[in-house]
Amino acid sequence: MESKRWYILFIPLFAVIGFVVVYPVILSTYISFTSIDGTPTLSNYVAMVSTSTFWNALNISLLYSLTSTIVAIAIGLGLTFILTQELRGKGVFEVLYILPLAVAPIVVGVLFSPSSVWDDIQGFLHFVLHQPYFNELVPSFYFPVMFFSEAWEWSPLIMLVALSIVNGTAKEIYEAAELHGASAFQKFTMVTVPTIFRSPVMQFIVVLRFIDAMRAFEIPLAWDNWLGYTSTIGSPIDTISLYLYKLLFSSSLGFPIGVVSAVALTLFAITLVGAAVLLRLLKAVGG
Amino acid sequence: MSGAAAREQAKSSRRTRRILLYVVAILAAFYSFWPVLVMALEGYNIDLGVIFAGRAVAISIGGLTVAPKTIIPTAYYYMQALSIEAYPRLVANTLLIAALSIGLALAVGIPVAYVLARIDVRGKTFISYLLLALRTVSQFVVIIPLYIAYSSLGLFDTYTGIALAEQMLILSVVVWMLRGFFSDIPRDVYEAATVYGKNEWQVFRRVVFPMVIPGVVVTTMFALVLLWNEFLIADTLTSVGTRTVAVGVWEGMSLNQLSFSALAWDSLNAAGTLAYIPAIAAMLAIRKYLAKGFSLGMAR
Repeated sequence: MESKRWYILFIPLFAVIGFVVVYPVILSTYISFTSIDGTPTLSNYVAMVSTSTFWNALNISLLYSLTSTIVAIAIGLGLTFILTQELRGKGVFEVLYILPLAVAPIVVGVLFSPSSVWDDIQGFLHFVLHQPYFNELVPSFYFPVMFFSEAWEWSPLIMLVALSIVNGTAKEIYEAAELHGASAFQKFTMVTVPTIFRSPVMQFIVVLRFIDAMRAFEIPLAWDNWLGYTSTIGSPIDTISLYLYKLLFSSSLGFPIGVVSAVALTLFAITLVGAAVLLRLLKAVGG
Repeated sequence: MSGAAAREQAKSSRRTRRILLYVVAILAAFYSFWPVLVMALEGYNIDLGVIFAGRAVAISIGGLTVAPKTIIPTAYYYMQALSIEAYPRLVANTLLIAALSIGLALAVGIPVAYVLARIDVRGKTFISYLLLALRTVSQFVVIIPLYIAYSSLGLFDTYTGIALAEQMLILSVVVWMLRGFFSDIPRDVYEAATVYGKNEWQVFRRVVFPMVIPGVVVTTMFALVLLWNEFLIADTLTSVGTRTVAVGVWEGMSLNQLSFSALAWDSLNAAGTLAYIPAIAAMLAIRKYLAKGFSLGMAR
Protein backbone atom coordinates (compact mmCIF):
# COMPACT_ATOMS: atom_id res chain seq x y z
CA MET A 1 0.00 0.00 0.00
CA GLU A 2 1.27 3.46 -0.78
CA SER A 3 2.49 4.49 2.61
CA LYS A 4 1.86 8.15 2.15
CA ARG A 5 -1.82 8.16 1.36
CA TRP A 6 -3.13 6.10 4.24
CA TYR A 7 -2.90 9.05 6.58
CA ILE A 8 -5.92 10.48 4.79
CA LEU A 9 -8.14 7.66 6.02
CA PHE A 10 -7.49 8.71 9.59
CA ILE A 11 -8.77 12.25 9.11
CA PRO A 12 -12.48 11.53 9.73
CA LEU A 13 -11.60 9.70 12.95
CA PHE A 14 -9.52 12.59 14.22
CA ALA A 15 -12.21 15.05 13.17
CA VAL A 16 -14.85 13.28 15.23
CA ILE A 17 -12.51 12.77 18.19
CA GLY A 18 -11.54 16.41 17.90
CA PHE A 19 -15.11 17.61 18.19
CA VAL A 20 -16.45 15.12 20.70
CA VAL A 21 -13.46 14.75 23.00
CA VAL A 22 -10.56 17.12 22.38
CA TYR A 23 -12.59 20.31 22.10
CA PRO A 24 -14.61 19.53 25.26
CA VAL A 25 -11.42 18.68 27.17
CA ILE A 26 -9.88 22.00 26.19
CA LEU A 27 -13.03 23.94 26.96
CA SER A 28 -13.50 22.13 30.28
CA THR A 29 -9.93 22.96 31.25
CA TYR A 30 -10.58 26.58 30.44
CA ILE A 31 -13.81 26.55 32.47
CA SER A 32 -12.09 24.90 35.42
CA PHE A 33 -9.55 27.68 35.58
CA THR A 34 -12.12 30.44 35.23
CA SER A 35 -14.30 31.93 37.90
CA ILE A 36 -17.91 33.03 37.44
CA ASP A 37 -17.01 36.51 36.31
CA GLY A 38 -14.57 35.22 33.75
CA THR A 39 -11.29 35.90 35.46
CA PRO A 40 -8.61 33.21 35.59
CA THR A 41 -8.46 31.52 38.96
CA LEU A 42 -7.39 28.47 40.87
CA SER A 43 -10.36 28.72 43.22
CA ASN A 44 -12.21 25.80 41.65
CA TYR A 45 -9.35 23.46 42.29
CA VAL A 46 -8.81 24.86 45.77
CA ALA A 47 -12.48 24.34 46.53
CA MET A 48 -12.31 20.82 45.22
CA VAL A 49 -9.27 19.82 47.25
CA SER A 50 -10.63 21.29 50.45
CA THR A 51 -13.99 19.52 50.38
CA SER A 52 -13.95 16.24 52.22
CA THR A 53 -16.72 15.08 49.89
CA PHE A 54 -14.31 15.01 47.00
CA TRP A 55 -11.82 12.83 48.81
CA ASN A 56 -14.55 10.50 50.08
CA ALA A 57 -15.95 10.16 46.61
CA LEU A 58 -12.49 9.47 45.21
CA ASN A 59 -11.89 6.75 47.78
CA ILE A 60 -15.22 5.17 47.02
CA SER A 61 -14.65 5.30 43.28
CA LEU A 62 -11.24 3.66 43.59
CA LEU A 63 -12.56 1.01 45.97
CA TYR A 64 -15.55 0.42 43.72
CA SER A 65 -13.43 0.12 40.63
CA LEU A 66 -10.74 -2.16 42.04
CA THR A 67 -13.07 -4.43 43.98
CA SER A 68 -15.65 -4.91 41.25
CA THR A 69 -12.94 -5.56 38.67
CA ILE A 70 -11.20 -8.16 40.82
CA VAL A 71 -14.47 -9.88 41.68
CA ALA A 72 -15.55 -9.80 38.02
CA ILE A 73 -12.29 -11.46 37.04
CA ALA A 74 -12.62 -14.11 39.74
CA ILE A 75 -16.21 -14.95 38.79
CA GLY A 76 -15.44 -14.74 35.09
CA LEU A 77 -12.57 -17.20 35.49
CA GLY A 78 -14.79 -19.50 37.52
CA LEU A 79 -17.41 -19.49 34.77
CA THR A 80 -14.66 -20.09 32.23
CA PHE A 81 -13.47 -23.10 34.21
CA ILE A 82 -16.93 -24.61 34.23
CA LEU A 83 -17.34 -24.15 30.52
CA THR A 84 -13.96 -25.65 29.67
CA GLN A 85 -14.77 -28.94 31.33
CA GLU A 86 -16.66 -31.78 29.77
CA LEU A 87 -20.21 -30.97 30.57
CA ARG A 88 -23.50 -32.06 29.14
CA GLY A 89 -25.66 -29.14 28.07
CA LYS A 90 -22.71 -26.76 27.91
CA GLY A 91 -24.53 -24.62 25.38
CA VAL A 92 -27.41 -24.03 27.76
CA PHE A 93 -25.05 -23.10 30.56
CA GLU A 94 -23.22 -20.68 28.30
CA VAL A 95 -26.46 -18.94 27.40
CA LEU A 96 -27.43 -18.64 31.05
CA TYR A 97 -24.03 -17.28 32.05
CA ILE A 98 -24.24 -14.50 29.47
CA LEU A 99 -27.60 -13.24 30.72
CA PRO A 100 -26.29 -10.53 33.08
CA LEU A 101 -24.32 -8.79 30.34
CA ALA A 102 -27.37 -7.43 28.52
CA VAL A 103 -29.13 -5.91 31.49
CA ALA A 104 -28.99 -2.11 31.49
CA PRO A 105 -26.69 -0.94 34.30
CA ILE A 106 -29.44 1.24 35.71
CA VAL A 107 -31.66 -1.83 35.98
CA VAL A 108 -28.84 -3.82 37.62
CA GLY A 109 -28.76 -1.14 40.28
CA VAL A 110 -32.48 -1.62 40.86
CA LEU A 111 -32.30 -5.42 40.80
CA PHE A 112 -29.82 -5.65 43.62
CA SER A 113 -31.51 -3.01 45.69
CA PRO A 114 -33.86 -3.84 48.55
CA SER A 115 -37.06 -4.17 46.61
CA SER A 116 -36.08 -6.75 44.07
CA VAL A 117 -33.67 -9.51 44.90
CA TRP A 118 -33.29 -8.75 48.54
CA ASP A 119 -36.87 -8.74 49.69
CA ASP A 120 -37.20 -12.24 48.29
CA ILE A 121 -34.19 -13.29 50.31
CA GLN A 122 -35.54 -11.50 53.36
CA GLY A 123 -38.88 -13.23 52.84
CA PHE A 124 -37.22 -16.60 52.55
CA LEU A 125 -35.08 -16.06 55.61
CA HIS A 126 -37.92 -14.74 57.67
CA PHE A 127 -40.88 -16.88 56.74
CA VAL A 128 -39.17 -20.12 55.88
CA LEU A 129 -36.12 -20.15 58.10
CA HIS A 130 -37.68 -17.94 60.77
CA GLN A 131 -34.75 -15.59 61.04
CA PRO A 132 -35.14 -11.91 61.82
CA TYR A 133 -34.90 -9.38 59.03
CA PHE A 134 -31.48 -7.91 58.39
CA ASN A 135 -30.88 -4.26 57.78
CA GLU A 136 -30.11 -3.43 54.18
CA LEU A 137 -29.62 0.26 54.60
CA VAL A 138 -26.22 0.18 56.28
CA PRO A 139 -22.87 0.73 54.56
CA SER A 140 -21.57 -2.68 55.55
CA PHE A 141 -24.37 -4.12 53.47
CA TYR A 142 -24.83 -1.82 50.54
CA PHE A 143 -21.20 -1.27 49.66
CA PRO A 144 -20.42 -4.95 49.08
CA VAL A 145 -23.70 -5.32 47.23
CA MET A 146 -22.89 -2.40 44.92
CA PHE A 147 -19.44 -3.77 44.12
CA PHE A 148 -20.84 -7.23 43.64
CA SER A 149 -23.64 -6.12 41.35
CA GLU A 150 -21.18 -4.34 39.08
CA ALA A 151 -19.13 -7.54 38.99
CA TRP A 152 -22.30 -9.58 38.35
CA GLU A 153 -23.09 -7.63 35.23
CA TRP A 154 -19.63 -7.72 33.69
CA SER A 155 -18.18 -11.08 34.68
CA PRO A 156 -19.67 -12.67 31.52
CA LEU A 157 -17.53 -10.31 29.45
CA ILE A 158 -14.39 -11.59 31.17
CA MET A 159 -15.71 -15.10 30.60
CA LEU A 160 -16.24 -14.55 26.86
CA VAL A 161 -12.77 -13.11 26.38
CA ALA A 162 -11.15 -15.86 28.47
CA LEU A 163 -13.02 -18.54 26.52
CA SER A 164 -11.85 -17.13 23.22
CA ILE A 165 -8.28 -17.18 24.47
CA VAL A 166 -8.60 -20.76 25.69
CA ASN A 167 -10.11 -21.88 22.43
CA GLY A 168 -7.29 -20.27 20.56
CA THR A 169 -4.46 -21.95 22.42
CA ALA A 170 -2.95 -25.26 21.44
CA LYS A 171 -3.65 -28.29 23.56
CA GLU A 172 0.04 -29.15 23.79
CA ILE A 173 0.61 -26.73 26.62
CA TYR A 174 -1.26 -29.09 28.91
CA GLU A 175 1.01 -32.01 28.11
CA ALA A 176 3.49 -31.35 30.87
CA ALA A 177 0.72 -30.91 33.42
CA GLU A 178 -1.04 -34.07 32.30
CA LEU A 179 2.17 -36.08 32.57
CA HIS A 180 2.33 -35.10 36.20
CA GLY A 181 -1.22 -36.25 36.78
CA ALA A 182 -2.68 -32.84 37.39
CA SER A 183 -6.39 -32.63 38.09
CA ALA A 184 -8.70 -30.57 35.93
CA PHE A 185 -8.68 -27.81 38.50
CA GLN A 186 -4.90 -27.81 38.75
CA LYS A 187 -4.59 -27.72 35.01
CA PHE A 188 -6.85 -24.71 34.99
CA THR A 189 -5.09 -22.74 37.69
CA MET A 190 -1.56 -23.60 36.68
CA VAL A 191 -1.77 -23.54 32.91
CA THR A 192 -4.98 -21.93 31.67
CA VAL A 193 -5.11 -18.93 33.96
CA PRO A 194 -1.55 -17.77 33.27
CA THR A 195 -2.18 -18.20 29.56
CA ILE A 196 -5.27 -16.05 29.84
CA PHE A 197 -3.44 -13.26 31.62
CA ARG A 198 -0.52 -13.37 29.27
CA SER A 199 -2.85 -12.42 26.46
CA PRO A 200 -2.73 -8.74 25.56
CA VAL A 201 -6.44 -8.91 24.85
CA MET A 202 -7.30 -9.92 28.41
CA GLN A 203 -4.99 -7.28 29.81
CA PHE A 204 -6.74 -4.75 27.62
CA ILE A 205 -10.22 -5.83 28.71
CA VAL A 206 -9.26 -5.74 32.40
CA VAL A 207 -7.96 -2.19 32.06
CA LEU A 208 -11.06 -1.27 30.11
CA ARG A 209 -13.25 -2.64 32.88
CA PHE A 210 -11.29 -0.65 35.46
CA ILE A 211 -11.74 2.54 33.44
CA ASP A 212 -15.46 2.04 33.00
CA ALA A 213 -15.89 1.16 36.66
CA MET A 214 -14.14 4.39 37.72
CA ARG A 215 -16.88 6.27 35.90
CA ALA A 216 -19.61 4.08 37.41
CA PHE A 217 -22.79 6.00 37.81
CA GLU A 218 -25.98 4.03 37.35
CA ILE A 219 -25.64 1.48 40.16
CA PRO A 220 -24.74 4.12 42.75
CA LEU A 221 -27.60 6.25 41.42
CA ALA A 222 -30.11 3.47 42.02
CA TRP A 223 -28.94 3.01 45.60
CA ASP A 224 -28.80 6.75 46.05
CA ASN A 225 -32.53 6.92 45.42
CA TRP A 226 -33.24 4.04 47.73
CA LEU A 227 -31.29 5.47 50.58
CA GLY A 228 -32.94 8.83 50.15
CA TYR A 229 -29.75 10.70 49.41
CA THR A 230 -30.84 12.29 46.14
CA SER A 231 -30.56 15.80 47.41
CA THR A 232 -27.62 15.13 49.67
CA ILE A 233 -24.45 16.16 47.95
CA GLY A 234 -21.68 14.20 49.54
CA SER A 235 -23.68 11.27 50.79
CA PRO A 236 -21.75 8.22 51.97
CA ILE A 237 -22.26 6.36 48.74
CA ASP A 238 -21.27 9.05 46.27
CA THR A 239 -18.85 7.88 43.68
CA ILE A 240 -17.16 10.72 41.82
CA SER A 241 -19.57 10.45 38.92
CA LEU A 242 -22.55 10.58 41.24
CA TYR A 243 -21.03 13.49 43.12
CA LEU A 244 -20.51 15.30 39.82
CA TYR A 245 -24.08 14.60 38.76
CA LYS A 246 -25.48 16.05 41.96
CA LEU A 247 -23.17 19.07 41.82
CA LEU A 248 -24.00 19.82 38.23
CA PHE A 249 -27.75 19.59 38.52
CA SER A 250 -28.21 21.11 41.92
CA SER A 251 -29.76 24.43 41.27
CA SER A 252 -29.16 25.47 44.85
CA LEU A 253 -25.48 25.77 44.01
CA GLY A 254 -26.11 27.68 40.81
CA PHE A 255 -24.79 25.00 38.45
CA PRO A 256 -21.13 25.31 39.43
CA ILE A 257 -19.57 24.28 36.13
CA GLY A 258 -16.18 25.54 37.27
CA VAL A 259 -15.86 23.09 40.14
CA VAL A 260 -17.55 20.33 38.18
CA SER A 261 -15.04 20.73 35.37
CA ALA A 262 -12.16 20.73 37.85
CA VAL A 263 -13.36 17.51 39.49
CA ALA A 264 -14.16 15.86 36.17
CA LEU A 265 -10.71 16.64 34.78
CA THR A 266 -9.11 15.35 37.95
CA LEU A 267 -11.09 12.12 37.62
CA PHE A 268 -9.87 11.90 34.03
CA ALA A 269 -6.26 12.33 35.10
CA ILE A 270 -6.54 9.84 37.96
CA THR A 271 -8.27 7.24 35.79
CA LEU A 272 -5.62 7.67 33.12
CA VAL A 273 -2.78 7.20 35.59
CA GLY A 274 -4.56 4.29 37.26
CA ALA A 275 -5.15 2.60 33.93
CA ALA A 276 -1.53 3.03 32.88
CA VAL A 277 -0.30 1.61 36.19
CA LEU A 278 -2.70 -1.31 35.97
CA LEU A 279 -1.62 -2.07 32.44
CA ARG A 280 2.05 -2.01 33.41
CA LEU A 281 1.31 -4.28 36.34
CA LEU A 282 -0.58 -6.78 34.20
CA LYS A 283 2.15 -6.87 31.62
CA ALA A 284 4.80 -7.37 34.25
CA VAL A 285 2.91 -10.18 35.94
CA GLY A 286 1.56 -11.81 32.81
CA GLY A 287 4.33 -11.15 30.36
CA MET B 1 -4.02 -51.94 47.18
CA SER B 2 -4.76 -54.13 44.20
CA GLY B 3 -5.11 -52.70 40.71
CA ALA B 4 -8.84 -53.37 40.53
CA ALA B 5 -9.59 -51.67 43.84
CA ALA B 6 -7.48 -48.68 42.86
CA ARG B 7 -9.36 -48.36 39.60
CA GLU B 8 -12.68 -48.55 41.46
CA GLN B 9 -11.60 -45.80 43.79
CA ALA B 10 -10.42 -43.65 40.91
CA LYS B 11 -13.73 -44.15 39.15
CA SER B 12 -15.83 -43.18 42.13
CA SER B 13 -13.72 -40.13 42.85
CA ARG B 14 -14.13 -39.14 39.22
CA ARG B 15 -17.87 -39.51 39.63
CA THR B 16 -17.87 -37.37 42.75
CA ARG B 17 -15.96 -34.74 40.93
CA ARG B 18 -18.38 -34.78 38.04
CA ILE B 19 -21.33 -34.41 40.38
CA LEU B 20 -19.56 -31.54 42.09
CA LEU B 21 -18.97 -29.93 38.71
CA TYR B 22 -22.63 -30.12 37.80
CA VAL B 23 -23.64 -28.71 41.15
CA VAL B 24 -21.30 -25.76 40.71
CA ALA B 25 -22.45 -25.27 37.13
CA ILE B 26 -26.07 -25.20 38.20
CA LEU B 27 -25.38 -22.84 41.08
CA ALA B 28 -23.58 -20.54 38.67
CA ALA B 29 -26.55 -20.69 36.32
CA PHE B 30 -28.83 -19.81 39.20
CA TYR B 31 -26.56 -16.91 40.15
CA SER B 32 -26.74 -15.58 36.59
CA PHE B 33 -30.38 -16.20 35.95
CA TRP B 34 -32.24 -15.46 39.14
CA PRO B 35 -31.98 -11.64 39.22
CA VAL B 36 -33.23 -11.56 35.63
CA LEU B 37 -36.11 -13.82 36.57
CA VAL B 38 -36.95 -11.62 39.53
CA MET B 39 -37.01 -8.59 37.25
CA ALA B 40 -39.48 -10.25 34.91
CA LEU B 41 -41.69 -11.54 37.72
CA GLU B 42 -41.76 -8.27 39.64
CA GLY B 43 -43.14 -6.68 36.50
CA TYR B 44 -46.13 -8.92 36.98
CA ASN B 45 -46.27 -7.95 40.63
CA ILE B 46 -45.20 -11.47 41.53
CA ASP B 47 -43.08 -11.17 44.57
CA LEU B 48 -41.29 -14.20 45.94
CA GLY B 49 -41.08 -12.69 49.39
CA VAL B 50 -44.84 -12.65 49.48
CA ILE B 51 -45.04 -16.23 48.28
CA PHE B 52 -42.76 -17.39 51.04
CA ALA B 53 -44.96 -15.58 53.53
CA GLY B 54 -48.08 -17.10 52.07
CA ARG B 55 -49.89 -13.84 52.39
CA ALA B 56 -49.65 -10.16 51.56
CA VAL B 57 -46.96 -8.73 53.72
CA ALA B 58 -45.05 -5.54 54.05
CA ILE B 59 -41.42 -6.09 54.90
CA SER B 60 -40.22 -3.02 56.66
CA ILE B 61 -36.54 -2.30 57.06
CA GLY B 62 -35.30 0.79 58.77
CA GLY B 63 -38.61 2.52 58.30
CA LEU B 64 -38.87 1.74 54.59
CA THR B 65 -41.53 -0.60 53.27
CA VAL B 66 -39.92 -2.91 50.81
CA ALA B 67 -42.58 -5.39 49.83
CA PRO B 68 -45.96 -5.10 48.17
CA LYS B 69 -49.15 -5.30 50.08
CA THR B 70 -51.05 -7.47 47.64
CA ILE B 71 -50.39 -10.84 46.16
CA ILE B 72 -52.39 -10.54 42.98
CA PRO B 73 -50.29 -10.91 39.85
CA THR B 74 -51.21 -8.50 37.12
CA ALA B 75 -50.15 -7.69 33.61
CA TYR B 76 -51.09 -4.05 34.13
CA TYR B 77 -47.56 -2.68 34.25
CA TYR B 78 -46.50 -4.46 31.10
CA MET B 79 -49.60 -3.26 29.30
CA GLN B 80 -49.02 0.26 30.48
CA ALA B 81 -45.43 0.17 29.26
CA LEU B 82 -46.47 -1.14 25.89
CA SER B 83 -48.91 1.62 25.14
CA ILE B 84 -47.92 3.64 22.16
CA GLU B 85 -46.54 6.71 23.83
CA ALA B 86 -44.38 4.67 26.17
CA TYR B 87 -42.01 1.86 25.30
CA PRO B 88 -42.55 1.86 21.51
CA ARG B 89 -41.73 5.54 21.34
CA LEU B 90 -38.56 5.05 23.36
CA VAL B 91 -37.54 2.14 21.14
CA ALA B 92 -38.07 4.26 18.05
CA ASN B 93 -35.96 7.06 19.52
CA THR B 94 -33.17 4.72 20.55
CA LEU B 95 -33.08 2.93 17.21
CA LEU B 96 -32.92 6.21 15.34
CA ILE B 97 -30.10 7.47 17.52
CA ALA B 98 -28.34 4.13 17.11
CA ALA B 99 -28.65 4.25 13.34
CA LEU B 100 -27.10 7.72 13.20
CA SER B 101 -24.49 7.02 15.84
CA ILE B 102 -23.36 3.61 14.66
CA GLY B 103 -23.53 4.78 11.07
CA LEU B 104 -21.10 7.57 11.86
CA ALA B 105 -18.83 5.29 13.87
CA LEU B 106 -18.70 2.78 11.02
CA ALA B 107 -18.08 5.45 8.39
CA VAL B 108 -15.21 6.80 10.43
CA GLY B 109 -13.99 3.50 11.82
CA ILE B 110 -13.93 1.17 8.84
CA PRO B 111 -11.12 3.02 7.01
CA VAL B 112 -9.08 3.24 10.21
CA ALA B 113 -9.57 -0.43 11.08
CA TYR B 114 -8.64 -1.44 7.55
CA VAL B 115 -5.41 0.52 7.67
CA LEU B 116 -4.54 -0.80 11.12
CA ALA B 117 -5.04 -4.36 9.95
CA ARG B 118 -3.02 -3.89 6.79
CA ILE B 119 -0.11 -1.71 7.72
CA ASP B 120 2.74 -2.97 9.84
CA VAL B 121 3.23 0.34 11.48
CA ARG B 122 4.41 1.15 14.97
CA GLY B 123 1.39 3.44 15.20
CA LYS B 124 -0.80 0.36 15.54
CA THR B 125 -0.58 -0.18 19.28
CA PHE B 126 -0.43 3.56 19.73
CA ILE B 127 -3.88 4.01 18.23
CA SER B 128 -5.29 1.26 20.45
CA TYR B 129 -3.92 2.94 23.53
CA LEU B 130 -4.99 6.35 22.28
CA LEU B 131 -8.56 5.11 22.03
CA LEU B 132 -8.25 3.55 25.47
CA ALA B 133 -6.95 6.84 26.87
CA LEU B 134 -9.87 8.68 25.28
CA ARG B 135 -12.15 6.37 27.15
CA THR B 136 -10.71 7.52 30.46
CA VAL B 137 -12.21 10.96 29.86
CA SER B 138 -15.08 11.38 32.26
CA GLN B 139 -18.46 11.98 30.67
CA PHE B 140 -18.72 15.19 32.70
CA VAL B 141 -15.69 16.66 30.97
CA VAL B 142 -17.58 16.25 27.72
CA ILE B 143 -21.15 16.93 28.78
CA ILE B 144 -20.73 20.51 29.95
CA PRO B 145 -19.03 21.90 26.83
CA LEU B 146 -21.34 19.88 24.59
CA TYR B 147 -24.36 21.11 26.48
CA ILE B 148 -23.18 24.70 26.04
CA ALA B 149 -22.34 24.14 22.38
CA TYR B 150 -25.58 22.30 21.71
CA SER B 151 -27.67 25.01 23.31
CA SER B 152 -26.30 27.58 20.91
CA LEU B 153 -26.20 25.21 17.94
CA GLY B 154 -29.71 24.02 18.59
CA LEU B 155 -28.56 20.44 19.01
CA PHE B 156 -29.95 19.81 22.48
CA ASP B 157 -32.54 17.04 22.57
CA THR B 158 -31.95 16.20 18.92
CA TYR B 159 -31.10 12.87 17.38
CA THR B 160 -27.96 14.21 15.70
CA GLY B 161 -26.77 15.76 18.90
CA ILE B 162 -26.96 12.55 20.89
CA ALA B 163 -25.58 10.49 18.02
CA LEU B 164 -22.49 12.70 18.05
CA ALA B 165 -22.09 12.67 21.83
CA GLU B 166 -22.40 8.88 22.00
CA GLN B 167 -19.30 8.60 19.82
CA MET B 168 -17.32 8.97 23.01
CA LEU B 169 -18.77 5.64 24.04
CA ILE B 170 -18.94 3.56 20.91
CA LEU B 171 -16.25 4.87 18.58
CA SER B 172 -13.41 3.12 20.38
CA VAL B 173 -15.35 -0.13 20.66
CA VAL B 174 -16.30 -0.03 16.99
CA VAL B 175 -12.71 0.59 15.83
CA TRP B 176 -11.33 -2.14 18.11
CA MET B 177 -13.82 -4.74 16.97
CA LEU B 178 -13.61 -3.89 13.28
CA ARG B 179 -9.86 -4.10 13.48
CA GLY B 180 -10.16 -7.59 14.91
CA PHE B 181 -12.38 -8.64 12.03
CA PHE B 182 -10.17 -7.07 9.38
CA SER B 183 -7.14 -8.80 10.88
CA ASP B 184 -8.94 -12.06 10.65
CA ILE B 185 -8.72 -11.97 6.88
CA PRO B 186 -5.55 -13.83 5.89
CA ARG B 187 -2.72 -11.91 4.28
CA ASP B 188 -2.83 -14.17 1.23
CA VAL B 189 -6.24 -12.85 0.40
CA TYR B 190 -4.87 -9.35 0.20
CA GLU B 191 -1.95 -10.49 -1.96
CA ALA B 192 -4.03 -12.60 -4.31
CA ALA B 193 -6.66 -9.92 -4.59
CA THR B 194 -4.32 -7.50 -6.32
CA VAL B 195 -5.15 -9.54 -9.40
CA TYR B 196 -8.57 -7.94 -9.38
CA GLY B 197 -7.45 -4.40 -9.66
CA LYS B 198 -4.40 -2.29 -9.60
CA ASN B 199 -5.37 -0.04 -6.78
CA GLU B 200 -6.19 -0.52 -3.16
CA TRP B 201 -9.75 0.78 -3.39
CA GLN B 202 -10.83 -1.91 -5.81
CA VAL B 203 -9.25 -4.61 -3.70
CA PHE B 204 -11.15 -3.26 -0.76
CA ARG B 205 -14.48 -2.89 -2.46
CA ARG B 206 -14.59 -6.15 -4.36
CA VAL B 207 -12.78 -8.55 -2.08
CA VAL B 208 -12.15 -7.36 1.43
CA PHE B 209 -15.35 -5.55 2.27
CA PRO B 210 -17.70 -8.42 1.36
CA MET B 211 -15.62 -10.67 3.61
CA VAL B 212 -15.86 -8.36 6.56
CA ILE B 213 -19.60 -7.68 6.37
CA PRO B 214 -20.44 -10.34 9.01
CA GLY B 215 -17.91 -8.60 11.27
CA VAL B 216 -19.60 -5.27 10.62
CA VAL B 217 -22.93 -6.82 11.58
CA VAL B 218 -21.51 -8.22 14.82
CA THR B 219 -19.90 -4.88 15.66
CA THR B 220 -23.14 -3.06 14.93
CA MET B 221 -25.15 -5.30 17.19
CA PHE B 222 -22.68 -5.03 20.05
CA ALA B 223 -22.61 -1.25 19.75
CA LEU B 224 -26.39 -1.32 19.62
CA VAL B 225 -26.58 -3.09 22.97
CA LEU B 226 -24.15 -0.57 24.46
CA LEU B 227 -26.21 2.36 23.20
CA TRP B 228 -29.45 0.70 24.21
CA ASN B 229 -28.31 0.45 27.82
CA GLU B 230 -26.47 3.76 28.04
CA PHE B 231 -27.82 6.17 30.60
CA LEU B 232 -25.69 9.16 31.54
CA ILE B 233 -25.08 10.89 28.21
CA ALA B 234 -28.60 10.20 27.06
CA ASP B 235 -30.02 11.53 30.30
CA THR B 236 -28.18 14.84 30.26
CA LEU B 237 -28.40 15.69 26.58
CA THR B 238 -31.98 14.62 25.94
CA SER B 239 -35.25 15.81 27.22
CA VAL B 240 -38.66 14.30 26.68
CA GLY B 241 -38.42 14.50 22.93
CA THR B 242 -35.60 12.09 22.20
CA ARG B 243 -35.58 10.07 25.39
CA THR B 244 -33.96 6.66 25.05
CA VAL B 245 -34.94 3.29 26.46
CA ALA B 246 -32.52 3.20 29.40
CA VAL B 247 -33.49 6.68 30.53
CA GLY B 248 -37.16 5.90 30.03
CA VAL B 249 -36.94 2.80 32.22
CA TRP B 250 -35.58 4.92 35.04
CA GLU B 251 -37.50 8.13 34.57
CA GLY B 252 -40.79 6.53 33.77
CA MET B 253 -42.24 5.69 30.45
CA SER B 254 -45.00 8.18 30.03
CA LEU B 255 -44.61 11.50 28.27
CA ASN B 256 -45.77 13.35 31.33
CA GLN B 257 -43.32 11.92 33.77
CA LEU B 258 -40.32 14.08 34.37
CA SER B 259 -39.01 12.61 37.57
CA PHE B 260 -38.39 9.31 39.19
CA SER B 261 -41.16 7.97 41.35
CA ALA B 262 -39.63 6.21 44.27
CA LEU B 263 -41.85 3.25 44.87
CA ALA B 264 -43.03 2.32 41.40
CA TRP B 265 -40.81 -0.74 41.32
CA ASP B 266 -43.27 -2.88 39.46
CA SER B 267 -43.55 -0.56 36.49
CA LEU B 268 -39.80 -0.06 36.53
CA ASN B 269 -39.18 -3.80 36.49
CA ALA B 270 -41.76 -4.29 33.76
CA ALA B 271 -40.08 -1.60 31.69
CA GLY B 272 -36.68 -3.06 32.48
CA THR B 273 -37.76 -6.49 31.28
CA LEU B 274 -39.13 -5.06 28.05
CA ALA B 275 -35.84 -3.25 27.53
CA TYR B 276 -33.91 -6.41 28.30
CA ILE B 277 -35.50 -8.70 25.72
CA PRO B 278 -34.03 -7.16 22.54
CA ALA B 279 -30.67 -6.59 24.24
CA ILE B 280 -30.21 -10.20 25.30
CA ALA B 281 -31.49 -11.44 21.94
CA ALA B 282 -28.84 -9.39 20.18
CA MET B 283 -26.12 -10.44 22.62
CA LEU B 284 -26.94 -14.14 22.28
CA ALA B 285 -27.10 -13.92 18.50
CA ILE B 286 -23.58 -12.57 18.24
CA ARG B 287 -21.89 -14.40 21.10
CA LYS B 288 -20.03 -16.86 18.91
CA TYR B 289 -18.53 -14.11 16.82
CA LEU B 290 -17.53 -11.80 19.62
CA ALA B 291 -14.27 -13.69 20.12
CA LYS B 292 -12.98 -12.51 16.77
CA GLY B 293 -14.11 -8.99 17.46
CA PHE B 294 -12.31 -8.90 20.78
CA SER B 295 -9.04 -10.16 19.35
CA LEU B 296 -8.05 -6.57 18.57
CA GLY B 297 -5.92 -7.82 15.74
CA MET B 298 -3.33 -9.03 18.18
CA ALA B 299 -1.93 -12.49 18.51
CA ARG B 300 -3.80 -14.46 21.13
